[in-house]
Amino acid sequence: MANSKLNQPAGCTALLMGNEAIARGAIEAGLQLMAAYPGTPSSEVGEALIEAHREGDYYIEWSTNEKVAFEVAAGAAQVGARSLTAMKNAGLNVAMDTYMTLPYGGVKGGMVIVVADDPDAHYSSTEQDTRLLAAYAEIPCYEPTDQQEAKDMTRDAFGLSEQLELPVFVRSVSRISHASGDVTFAPARDKRNSLGFNKHYKLPYRWNVYGAPGPVSKHRWLHEVLTKAREAANSSPYNRLDLAEGADVGVLSSGVAAAYTVEALERLGLSGKVSFLKLGMIHPLPDRLVARLLAGITTLIVIEEGDPVLENMVRAYAQEKGYRVAIRGKSYDSILPPFGEINADKTADAIAGLLQLPVGPDKREGRREKLRSLVAPRSSTLCAGCSHLGSYWALREALKKHKGVHIINGDIGCYEQGGYGLFASKINVSDEQSKRHPIRSAYEILDTIYVMGSGIGMAQGQAQAGYKDGKVVAVAGDSTFIHATLPAVANAVYSRADITFLVLDNRWTAMTGHQVNPNTGVDTLGNETEGFDIPAVVRSLGVKMVRTAEAYQLEESKQAIVEALEFKGPAVVILQGECMLQVVRRTKRTGGATRVDEQACTGCTLCVQLGCPAVMFDKDRKKAKIDEINCVDCNLCVQVCPHEAIAVEGAGK
Amino acid sequence: MSVNVIVTGVGGQGSILASHILAEAAILAESEYPGGEKVNVRVGETFGAAMRGGAVASHVRFGRGVYGPLVGRGQADMVIALEPLEGLRIAVEYIKEGGVVLLNEERIPPVDVKIGAVRYPEIPEIKAALEQLGASVRVVAGSRLAEQAGTAKAVNIVMLGAAFGSGILPFGEEILLEAIKRRVPQRFLDANLEAFKLGRES
Repeated sequence: MANSKLNQPAGCTALLMGNEAIARGAIEAGLQLMAAYPGTPSSEVGEALIEAHREGDYYIEWSTNEKVAFEVAAGAAQVGARSLTAMKNAGLNVAMDTYMTLPYGGVKGGMVIVVADDPDAHYSSTEQDTRLLAAYAEIPCYEPTDQQEAKDMTRDAFGLSEQLELPVFVRSVSRISHASGDVTFAPARDKRNSLGFNKHYKLPYRWNVYGAPGPVSKHRWLHEVLTKAREAANSSPYNRLDLAEGADVGVLSSGVAAAYTVEALERLGLSGKVSFLKLGMIHPLPDRLVARLLAGITTLIVIEEGDPVLENMVRAYAQEKGYRVAIRGKSYDSILPPFGEINADKTADAIAGLLQLPVGPDKREGRREKLRSLVAPRSSTLCAGCSHLGSYWALREALKKHKGVHIINGDIGCYEQGGYGLFASKINVSDEQSKRHPIRSAYEILDTIYVMGSGIGMAQGQAQAGYKDGKVVAVAGDSTFIHATLPAVANAVYSRADITFLVLDNRWTAMTGHQVNPNTGVDTLGNETEGFDIPAVVRSLGVKMVRTAEAYQLEESKQAIVEALEFKGPAVVILQGECMLQVVRRTKRTGGATRVDEQACTGCTLCVQLGCPAVMFDKDRKKAKIDEINCVDCNLCVQVCPHEAIAVEGAGK
Repeated sequence: MSVNVIVTGVGGQGSILASHILAEAAILAESEYPGGEKVNVRVGETFGAAMRGGAVASHVRFGRGVYGPLVGRGQADMVIALEPLEGLRIAVEYIKEGGVVLLNEERIPPVDVKIGAVRYPEIPEIKAALEQLGASVRVVAGSRLAEQAGTAKAVNIVMLGAAFGSGILPFGEEILLEAIKRRVPQRFLDANLEAFKLGRES
């Protein structure tokens, strides 16, 4: 679509989300290939490049996982193309194997790795700081302070990558990727790199880490290049040192934290009164700039988003070079906690506290504290009519046939909300009622949730260790099934693990914004594909007990799960029901015809336990009620009600 | 001078679009700021995954001294709430003394209320609570006015109209209308321009 805002002319200023700015940076650099697996908060990099895509432009794909995406991008760079991959923090863990090894041979075409970290874990399992992994892989790392820098750094990263022949890391965070700012466009490069494959490009066996003279020699080469990279950091336009004459306090900051720091210093009246080093290219550490900062000061304040990465690099450097400077950040005698995200308020408080600056008390805090009790929570839920509601109900019902403490291993996708709980429910671990953990709603059904594909692996360990107190179950969505569970399914077959695995197949990579996967039936640019036959794949891996059922048919789903639970050995149930949001979008379905017959309703609340946000309960009248605005007439609550009190009007019985 | 506004509501109500219209207007108005110094525009968002119905808050900041995407605690000049409970949630933490809170009166109860686990505060209670923090609170019949304008979906634009009417925004009506034209699909434009007018006059 040529009319994307990313295709506006050079010189214009537009409001861009950080991820869109990164995409524009890649366009300005003459991008030739983009491959990624969606992951919040990184997905819009790919979405924006799909929207801006024009016939004959760069190749773009949603790959099956981050490791595959990384390898696709790396392969493109080996033959000389400019390539980009983007992922969330946890995505880099998936790509780690290839990621750690690629720098030994480096790249020919510019390759940029964008990783969007998520301090405060808004959308993630962890707060991991991947800047450490840029240092671990020994590659250059940029960290943008705002959306303009996100664009410019991404563009420049391609050039730096070609100059150093190393992939270059761009570390974003949620507050860059999912925030927007004014961005002024530069011209887009018309030229595209020509492609070619040189078997021994500059190094013997360049593209083969094991090839003579072996990995150690290639690691030595990497360190020679790093010396040049350090010079690039020392002279980078994104690194700026403002020395304040006579100041004995210095401040070091990078990325979005530098934006908070500038605001905090202004608020505290410290602008221009302390020396300030703002870093945008943070690895390798620009040693000469750091030396100039340290030379005149006795206290260094380090403000960074994530782990104390810069702080500890500078501490090591200061010790080695003999600077006697107290370094305060998140490590020792910390002024900020090493968890959660920071902001301008926390930064100002931390600096004011350390420097003993007078800060007026917040007079309204006491009143706020009282008012907070009025603020009802708004728990995250599955959508009204979500197929996962049906799948979880069927699983609950099927498990009732077996006594014991069943373990339900979750995974990553919309269905992970099966372990979120409702914020308004009081959970007390010392309470016997809570200890027995009755599965009261669709939001309390999952016992373990870690990462993509972890459920079916952990289920096998529980079963193989000899756990006999109950059934062992794992669930995963269709996109996760393809992304991360295939080796684990094969493992369960050949080790004969006695587990039940439910594939919650809604056809889309829904949680990250309905991207396609091989199971969707269309490719990244919307062309039809052959599709992906999950039941056939499971059978071909050797699973003997394979059942499929309609997720919207509760009895059918329940029976399939009952059979699987009774089977000795690995059993797989594929519960099929397309994501209701996509169904509603495509069919313009309206719904709202589902009604409760108050005469028949006994107030048993079973329908409420389905967990659908369109099922309400009037506590005073002890009657269920349907929220007609949200209801999509999916028929799930109709099947749940044992008193035939719910019906879709006009649907008949 | 800088302006700090938070637009809040429930996923699907259009609070992010409203915040982007404000930010777009700030970019269009940049030439109007005296002095010629470049003015930064930022929008910081917190939103959940693709699911509907979650709490959404979009921080809009522009002017001098704006670098980061988030409004500081107690520093919002205005909170525009498309849903009253979300207005309460955000304004308790962010509204400054003397700031303006606009509440669309239509309540969207969270699931926690729907299943009877917690109580939804009455609108007069919300208003009184925020007045205790020194805010000037106005309840707007946003959803009703949006329907009157032709589409219930235009509630975000009604509230932008009401925000403009409050006199806090430092740019002219024609700039805001131009930003709306740039961001709203052509086929909904007339209804949205009417929605803006009804909001402004409310």
